[in-house]
Amino acid sequence: MLKILIPTLMLTPTIWFSPLRQAWSATMTYGLLLATMSLLWLKHSSETTWTHMNSYMAVDYISGPLLVLTCWLLPLMILASRGHMSLEPAERQRMFLLLLTTLQALLILAFSATELMMFYLMFEATLIPTLAMITRWGNQAERLNAGTYFLFYTLAGSLPLLVSLMVLQNSTGTLSLLTLSFNHFNLDSTYSNKALWVGCLVALLVKMPLYGVHLWLPKAHVEAPVAGSMILAAVLLKLGGYGMMRITMLLTPLTKDLSYPFIILALWGLIMTASICLRQTDLKSLIAYSSVAHMGLVIAGILTQTTWGYLGALTLMVAHGLTSSALFCLANTNYERTHSRTIILIRGAQLILPLMGTWWLIASLANLALPPLPNLVGELLLIVTLFKWSTWSIILTGAATLITAAYSLYMFLLTQRGPTPPHILALEPTYTREHLLLALHLLPLLLLTLKPELIWN
Amino acid sequence: MANYEEAPLSSRPKTLDPNEYFNVTKETRRVEAEKAALRASLKRQYLQQLNNPHRKELIEDPALTRWVHARASIYPYFRPSYKTSILGLMFGVVPLFALYALFKTDRDRKEEKIKNGTLDRKFSISS
Repeated sequence: MLKILIPTLMLTPTIWFSPLRQAWSATMTYGLLLATMSLLWLKHSSETTWTHMNSYMAVDYISGPLLVLTCWLLPLMILASRGHMSLEPAERQRMFLLLLTTLQALLILAFSATELMMFYLMFEATLIPTLAMITRWGNQAERLNAGTYFLFYTLAGSLPLLVSLMVLQNSTGTLSLLTLSFNHFNLDSTYSNKALWVGCLVALLVKMPLYGVHLWLPKAHVEAPVAGSMILAAVLLKLGGYGMMRITMLLTPLTKDLSYPFIILALWGLIMTASICLRQTDLKSLIAYSSVAHMGLVIAGILTQTTWGYLGALTLMVAHGLTSSALFCLANTNYERTHSRTIILIRGAQLILPLMGTWWLIASLANLALPPLPNLVGELLLIVTLFKWSTWSIILTGAATLITAAYSLYMFLLTQRGPTPPHILALEPTYTREHLLLALHLLPLLLLTLKPELIWN
Repeated sequence: MANYEEAPLSSRPKTLDPNEYFNVTKETRRVEAEKAALRASLKRQYLQQLNNPHRKELIEDPALTRWVHARASIYPYFRPSYKTSILGLMFGVVPLFALYALFKTDRDRKEEKIKNGTLDRKFSISS
C-alpha cells in the first residue's frame, strides 16, 4: 500500500524541481509505473477480504477496482492536459501537475481508508484540488458559478454526514470498517434513527449525484478543464458510490423502507436526464447528463442491498469511469480545435479526422452499453436486480436503456456524420498523444470484457 | 408602370404591388433607410474580417455566442408561470408520488405473499 502512496507523494518534489519538460514526461512515466504496480491490488489472497494492510489503509473487493481506476487515471490526465497547458507559464504548469498529484494521493487514501472518519476527511479533502482546478483553469466566466455550486452542494450534504459519523462513533465505539462488519446492527425505526440514515447518505447521494440534487454536475463538468472533467467523471462520482456501499452496512433494517424515495428519484432521474441529453447543444453538457443517468442506475442498485446490485454497481462504476473519461477526452479534442463546445460547429468530423472517428465510435458504443463490454454487464445486472426488487421497474429501466442508446447514437451521428461545416478554414490533424490517450482509455475496457473476474473476484 | 390585372386564380406577387413604389410614406422610407444602413455596416464589418489576409482564426458570430450563453444559463432567467408550474408538477412531482404508490403496493403485496408462504416462485432454480 505504501509502495504506491509514498511514490505518489514523492512526485511532488519531482514536479517542482525537475526542468519543466521533464516534469511532464517524468510524472506521466512514474504515473504509468504506479498504475502498473497498482494492479497488484486486484489480487486477493486473504479470506477476510482485506489485503495489503496497513494500520490505516487496506484494500478489499470493492475498493480494489476503484483504486486501480484512480491510479490509472493520473497518467491519462497528465497526457490530456499537455495540449492546453503548454501555453501557460512554468510555475502554473507545475502547480497544475501538483494539483493532479495531490488529488491522486487523496483519492488513494480515501478509497483505501479502513476507518470511516478517514474516508470522510479524504472525501472532503478531494474537494479542494478539484475546486482549484475548476475555478482557476476553467475556460469560461461561468466557472466561478460552477465552482460555487460544486463546493456548496457537496459541503451542505456532508455536514450531516460528519454529525452522523460522530453519533455512530459514540454509540458503537469505533468506526473501523474491519470490525463494524461484525457488529450486527438492528436500528429501530425511530425518528432519530431515520434522521441518522438520511444524514449518513445525503452527502454521498449528492456526490453520486442523485437526480434531485444533481445541479452541480453539469456546471462543474462543463466548466472544468479536461483533466478536471476526467477525474470528476471517472473517480469522484465513484467516491459517492463506494461510500454508500460501505455505510449502508451500518444502517441495516432501515434501508428497506427509507430507500424508496431515493430509488424512485434515481430511476425517474435516469429517464429525465437521458431525455435532457437528447436536447443538449453543448457536447460536454451532454456527456455530463449521461453521467448523471448512469450513476442514477448505480444508486438504485446499491440501495436495493443485494449481491447482484453491488456487483452491477461496481462493474458499471468502473466501466462508466473509463467510458465517460474517454468521451470527455474526445470532447476536448474538438474543443482544442474549434474553441467551442457547440456540437453543430464541428459536424462531419469523420471525413476530416477519420481515425478520431474510430475512437468516437468505440466510445459511443461503450456509452450505450454494447455487449460484450462491461458497461452492458453492469447495466444488465442492475436492471435484473431492480426487476427482482419490483417488477414494474422494468418499464423505467427499459425506457431508459432505449433513450441511452438514442442519445449515444445521436451524439455520434451529430459529431461524425453530416455535412462538414463550411466556415472552418483548417483543423490540426490528430496528434499521436490524443490517439494514445484514447487507446489507454478504451484498452482496459476491452480487456475487462475478456476477464471481468478482475473486478469481481 | 403598366397596370397589370390580377389573374383570376393567383394573387399579385409582392414585388409587383404598385404600393411598394408609389404611396410610400416618408416615415416608412426613413425606417427602411436606417435598417439598410445598419445592414450595410454589419456587412462591411464581416467582409473586413473575411478578407483580412492576416486572419488565422474563425470569425466569431455574436449571435451564436448569445444563443449558447442563453442555452447554458437557464436558472437566473427562470420565471414561474402557469405553464412552467404545470410542467414541473407533471414531470417532477406527480411521477415521484405515482411511482412510490406503485412500488410500495407491489412490494407490500409480495411481502404479504412471502409471509403467508403463498408466493409462486415461477423461475426458481433451487427447488
